[in-house]
Amino acid sequence: MPFLKTSNDGEISIDHSASPGLTPEQARRFGYPAELVGEGKRMTAPTLGCPHCGSAVILNPMRTRERAHCYACNKYICDICDAVRHEPGYVHRTIEDIAALMTSGKWRNAGSMSKPVLVPMED
Amino acid sequence: MAKRVFSTQNMSWIASASGAAITSPTTPQWMAVKGGNATAIIDILEILISGLASASTLGGFIFSRVTTLEAAAGGAALTTSAPKASDGLMNPSGQAVTNPVVVFNAASTTGPTPSNVITNADLNLGLNMFGGILRWNAAPTQQWWIVGNTTTTGESILYNCSTAGGATGLASAHIMYEPY
Repeated sequence: MPFLKTSNDGEISIDHSASPGLTPEQARRFGYPAELVGEGKRMTAPTLGCPHCGSAVILNPMRTRERAHCYACNKYICDICDAVRHEPGYVHRTIEDIAALMTSGKWRNAGSMSKPVLVPMED
Repeated sequence: MAKRVFSTQNMSWIASASGAAITSPTTPQWMAVKGGNATAIIDILEILISGLASASTLGGFIFSRVTTLEAAAGGAALTTSAPKASDGLMNPSGQAVTNPVVVFNAASTTGPTPSNVITNADLNLGLNMFGGILRWNAAPTQQWWIVGNTTTTGESILYNCSTAGGATGLASAHIMYEPY
């Protein structure tokens, strides 16, 4: 049980304090807030792991939309996994569950990380 | 097990598209991490990129899943000649896993294919390589997972993505990871 909600926060630091930095167009392409990655700027933002796909997500400090939360895991999940869990036939599996199945040697993932398709290994 | 650091210094990160095998694969230009066997689990704990370009250059760095493996499998061995690369234990008295993690920055025939699948996450790590520095550090339990040694789950790659607007440029980088 984490002590604080921010106990699980990682950190990303993007230091352009001695650099021309990114143009607003370049920043938007990467999903960064343009005002934080320009010339002479230094951006620091929290990151979180997604318990469904096992990836890490940079939390845009300028975001105002709500973030997804999985009540089965009681953790933040990424936007991609949030979209996938609303599809028909969705089965809730954490990355730990998927890792356990795959490392048993009996299953392989023929899908993607957010949308795993677990198929039995051929003998 | 024991944490390790895979690093490259002053490497030219050739911009390459996502969803296609990385071109010019025999030239060191990416950092790939792959499980040592089908039951391997690797936590990616930190990525740092220090831009070394001498003029403004957009580094379209992305840490991505690999949807088609390189050939020959496992890529080419790291070298100490330019660009220097290394992979070692953070604690010198630590123990290596039985099936060591495969790390490589070049391949003999075909480069790995970074994912462009919309349901695979990409970690966007773009910066201006003219003086820009980027460091991502995961909190405990919030790491990026690599499971096994097959496509998508078993291999991830840090590369300069032209699809994201990246242009070829010089940078040093390290990936801190812990295998099990």
